[in-house]
Amino acid sequence: MSIGSTTNITQAALRDVPGPLLELTDVRTHFRTPRGLVRAVDGVSFTLERGRSLGIVGESGSGKTILSRSIMGLLPTKGTERSGSIRFAGTEVGNKSRKEMRHIWGKEMAMIFQDPMTSLNPLMRIGDQIAEPLRLHLGMSKADAAATARRLLQDVRIPEPDRRLAQYPHEMSGGMRQRVMIAIAMACGPTALFADEPTTALDVTVQAQILDLLGEQRRERNMSLVLVTHDLGVVAGHTDEIAVMYGGKLVEKAPTKRLFAAMKMPYTEGLLASIPKLEDRSHSRLNVIPGRPPDLVNPPKGCRFAPRCPYASARCNEEEPPLTATQDDPDHSYACWYPVGSPEYHEARARINASAGVN
Amino acid sequence: MTETTEFTDAVTHTPGATIDDQIDARFKRVRRRRVPKFGVLFGATFLIVLLFLTVFADWLPFIRNADTKVRVNGKLMSNYKLGPGWDAWWGTDGNGFDVFARCIYYARYTLWIGISSTAIGLFVGGALGMLAGYFRGKTDRVISVLIDCLLAIPALVLAIMVVRRLDDIKLDFTFLGWMSRLWQIILTLSILAIAPLARIVRAQTMALREREFVLAGRSLGAGNMRILFKEILPNLIPAMVTVAATGLGILIAAEGALAFLGLGLETSWGFMINANRNRLEKAWWATIFPCIMLFLTVLSFNLIGDRLARRFDVREAAV
Amino acid sequence: MRYFFQRFLQLLLVFVIVTFVVLVVMRVGSSNAQELAIKLAGRPLKPEESDALIQQYNLDANFISQYLTWLKNLVFHFDLGFSPQAGQSVADLLKPRVWTTVLLGLYANVFGLLIAIPLAVTQAYRRDRPFDKVGSMATFIAVGVPGIVLGVFLKLIFVVQLGWFPSIGDKIYPWDDLHEHFMNFFLPTLTLTIPVAAIYTRLLRADMVMTLQSDFITLASAKGVPPRRVVWKHGLRNSLFSLVTAVGTQLGALIGSAVLVESLFDLDGLGSQLVVSVLSADLFTVQSFVAIIVLIVVVVNLLVDLSYALIDPRIRQARALG
Repeated sequence: MSIGSTTNITQAALRDVPGPLLELTDVRTHFRTPRGLVRAVDGVSFTLERGRSLGIVGESGSGKTILSRSIMGLLPTKGTERSGSIRFAGTEVGNKSRKEMRHIWGKEMAMIFQDPMTSLNPLMRIGDQIAEPLRLHLGMSKADAAATARRLLQDVRIPEPDRRLAQYPHEMSGGMRQRVMIAIAMACGPTALFADEPTTALDVTVQAQILDLLGEQRRERNMSLVLVTHDLGVVAGHTDEIAVMYGGKLVEKAPTKRLFAAMKMPYTEGLLASIPKLEDRSHSRLNVIPGRPPDLVNPPKGCRFAPRCPYASARCNEEEPPLTATQDDPDHSYACWYPVGSPEYHEARARINASAGVN
Repeated sequence: MTETTEFTDAVTHTPGATIDDQIDARFKRVRRRRVPKFGVLFGATFLIVLLFLTVFADWLPFIRNADTKVRVNGKLMSNYKLGPGWDAWWGTDGNGFDVFARCIYYARYTLWIGISSTAIGLFVGGALGMLAGYFRGKTDRVISVLIDCLLAIPALVLAIMVVRRLDDIKLDFTFLGWMSRLWQIILTLSILAIAPLARIVRAQTMALREREFVLAGRSLGAGNMRILFKEILPNLIPAMVTVAATGLGILIAAEGALAFLGLGLETSWGFMINANRNRLEKAWWATIFPCIMLFLTVLSFNLIGDRLARRFDVREAAV
Repeated sequence: MRYFFQRFLQLLLVFVIVTFVVLVVMRVGSSNAQELAIKLAGRPLKPEESDALIQQYNLDANFISQYLTWLKNLVFHFDLGFSPQAGQSVADLLKPRVWTTVLLGLYANVFGLLIAIPLAVTQAYRRDRPFDKVGSMATFIAVGVPGIVLGVFLKLIFVVQLGWFPSIGDKIYPWDDLHEHFMNFFLPTLTLTIPVAAIYTRLLRADMVMTLQSDFITLASAKGVPPRRVVWKHGLRNSLFSLVTAVGTQLGALIGSAVLVESLFDLDGLGSQLVVSVLSADLFTVQSFVAIIVLIVVVVNLLVDLSYALIDPRIRQARALG
């Protein structure tokens, strides 16, 4: 399902550039604050192929949102220091100004925000908000843009599109507004879509619909999707790969299935344990990771997760583990001295169980 | 949904809000720090010096008596003969009075009128606002209509009307015989202050009455009066002080305006401005110096009010 | 519709209460009707003259009846009363002066908005940069400067020093002589406009700064909308609430300033006439005057309320339902 022939022509060239769509090398985003330099993103590298989807998972404060905005270049320039390389379809975009990025935003890269209640302009009709990027980037006439907007609403499964086009955001439910957001993001047929917690503010029943819709649109439009979330459960069924972030760094990255089959980082394990399971009693206590995310002004010396890690030993507090691939799987990398399954891990685990038993 | 968020909620606040939180916090802190304290320092210094000069004017050797005409070598310096200079710092006016001396002496009346009318306005307006905000319902509706009515008449129009009418009314009602022109003006200006003050206090009280400590007090069976005076009033003080500071500036400007229109005191900067303004060409000093005094006094109160508003985070400090 | 009806009733109540209280304040203190008639006339009256006055204005009844008589004359005969001191009806006294004040008020608002909107938008867009800081400082001072002080300074500069404008104002209207109108109205307009523009700027800037932090503004940028369009199209309209409210709330202050400015620049308008009438205790005139002013304030506030609905579909629909 394509939007129109114009879209395909403009993007044909871009899609033909060989190599991965998105390639990050040692990306850092730091904020100057009176307290000191906040290292919100601190050396992140990964690549994303065309049409693939990547889930970036982490607690709030892990830097995942800032990473996604940093890739798009959507952060305020004042007080922000960015370094490293971000290549998008073969072009370096990490050092581009907002002015230059404007032609990429909405057209090549689009974003969906967390809260559909506050992300749409309350004083503008839905139709006009969808038509705006069409008219700006593709130079469509008013009538063409309106027709395209109508088709987009159908694509995102909004009934009665004609009536909806003339409505204002407050006349719609949260789920409907999130669909409108997706329609806006899709409008110019971007090659990469960043979805920042797209379902966090929605009802459980609507969440799955929105995620399915995103996956379906991604496949149909051959788009790359970066799905940012705190919920490992959200990305489980909806992304090809998962990258786990902690304290501004990637700590584990693997294709989704293999990650769930053999996770290496105790942090990832903790994230998984915090997803409520169906078989749990409805009021049973959730397993939360104790402690708080690290202070990004003065991060811990060794592994950033060590202060909260139940299996940490002296080495973890002294030396920072590098992100390395596992021996048997080059696509699966992690940053941990004593990963899940290692002898030290079992030893520590036995120790914990023993002390728990004594009590 | 709620269940899945609990994980992150237990660790920090809402997920995804990090970026704005961090950036917001950054800007706020930066702004706090960079606001120049120079303004409030200037305001406070100016007012303290002015207060000192005007209170001790009789004993300070460099301030002439306001009602003594300036003579140089026995010659009367009337008809704006002296410009700003050594003999009379800010020159002389049409009758040969020292403009500097008059500016300093008249600050007494200006400051006294400003402070006492603000105090009365604060007392009455504060009481009305507290009652309306605390009891709500009918009390609130009656007081709100009263406030609306007071705000419907432009302040200066109300002021000139009331001041002028008080001239006659105090003759008709002998029990008002004590009222000097000074008190007429204080009374009038305090009427102006009531409505804006009542409105702000009402809004603050409404917010406070829902706060835990007030609810707790009520559940413990404390009486309304006790809650109003012991729990709510102390918490209203920052907002009231802030609004009073800005309000003082506005009332002093209003006093100047009244005197300018010939409805205020003759011992006022506003009166000096009006008396000399047609001689602006010949003797700018006799008009401009009172203007500067009025301007700096109002500005000083505004600067202090602005600082307090930031300090106590009071919005809508503008009366 | 019901909302506007309620609001209308509320403002009508305010109008009635205020005009009644003004009538009482104007007429209180006389021991009998004859004395009151003489006070209203402002000169000694022959018995038949005072009887006629008492008859006409129902002066021997209580204040409520007097008020009803006054209201009836106003509503059914558009009769604002008679100014014995000017020797003409209040309406005839006001008519030639109305345009001076109306034009001044209109100019102050139009120019105030023309200055405030671009200034505030630019300030908010460049928040905390030098332009914003200088702008904030300038508007802070301009908000607080007393009207007479500003007027005197402008007069000193433009009339005394530069000699660009006449020192005594003359009420010449644009339809009579545009150039002369400009010469006579420029300084009074400027004196009124500066504080108004400053207040509007501060309010709009504050709202705009809040709006520019909203998610939908970031989304507009992420759609690739140029910054200029983001600010003007998405930002401004969402930031108008305080500004529109201020047009209503500042009207009183503006009328007060007009009284001062007309006196200072010797411009013959309603404001300067009001001062004359008050000083000479022309009670009929003052009472009608205040009634007209209150009516204007009330009507403008009703219009302000209507315009909220014009700007925001949420308010429009909420009110349509209520």
